[in-house]
Amino acid sequence: MSTTKLGFIVQRPPYKSENPKLALTHAISSQSVEVYLNDGDIVTADVAFIGDGVLNCLKNQKAMEKYALSSTETHIKNSLLLDLNVMVCKEDLDRLGLSENDIVMDAEEFGAEVTTKVVPFSEITKMMEEVNHLLFF
Amino acid sequence: MGKLTIGCFSSLVGSMSLDFAVKLSAAAIEKGHKVDFWVSGNGTMLSIKGQRAFKDYSALMKPVQELMGKGLTITACEACAEARGYNKENTMEGFKRHSMDWYLASAFNADRLLHIGGE
Amino acid sequence: MKLAVFVSDYKLNVDTLDRLKPEKLGIILVENGVYHATIKENGTPSSLLKKNANFYVLMDDLETRGLGSSDINNNIKMISYGDIVDLIFNEYEKTAWL
Repeated sequence: MSTTKLGFIVQRPPYKSENPKLALTHAISSQSVEVYLNDGDIVTADVAFIGDGVLNCLKNQKAMEKYALSSTETHIKNSLLLDLNVMVCKEDLDRLGLSENDIVMDAEEFGAEVTTKVVPFSEITKMMEEVNHLLFF
Repeated sequence: MGKLTIGCFSSLVGSMSLDFAVKLSAAAIEKGHKVDFWVSGNGTMLSIKGQRAFKDYSALMKPVQELMGKGLTITACEACAEARGYNKENTMEGFKRHSMDWYLASAFNADRLLHIGGE
Repeated sequence: MKLAVFVSDYKLNVDTLDRLKPEKLGIILVENGVYHATIKENGTPSSLLKKNANFYVLMDDLETRGLGSSDINNNIKMISYGDIVDLIFNEYEKTAWL
């Protein structure tokens, strides 16, 4: 039985590039990876939004209404529903004049029990140290 | 010898990051390492068969086929491919198609992972 | 953490590299990142080269762009694809493509 930890770091704003959404969909796929692994082996995914990437976390996104696309907000909520560790850099929120009130902090309506963690960059650095592999988007 | 997993999300035409990834795969295989290669997003363009090699565009079908012959495992994100109209019938022989968890499963026992994000 | 960072652009649109403080940092200049090794804007080398890091530049990408060993700063090592493989397996634990 062993665990491989992956760190998904999202650095860029949503929509113009497909990358931030792909970060989330790949991270979410950690929940079904067991089909390829031996019993007890798992892959975990931590997701951190840093730099302008914190803009992915704004709430009230209307991508479905405007472009018939599932929103990045929905993917963040799905990540919370699946108990992924979702972190948002506090210094970057502050720099952009944003607070916890502006971003997706929970997915209670989906039944999610975990919430988004607004953390200093030092916490994200700690996560990057602890994981086995890093994926920057 | 180790295992290197490479993920590349950049397109075949319009970027040279896939060229980089294919050359790095070749160098790793040459040194005896195992290489798993995952393409997602616009990177799935690499999986299409019938690519015509013009000198003004990146042409990677031949080197990829040669590397597959040397043991390269290469897989495209099925959903990303289908969204672009790249279906099973026009996929290069030997090129696998799976859901995104394949990439994470490959990362599970990889000694090193190089993730090349898209443009 | 021993981290090998691939820099593939001359103008980076993210500041992540400035914020990473690994125990050992290797910066591998590839694609348009090779210009950091050669260009001196207004006579000044790229600020990237001031970092406490080991610097490498991919020979193929340098030569593709009309540049060569005589153009690069002397603290930068010219490397091949095979050297990159050895670096990421033997010298560094994790990689980041920025």
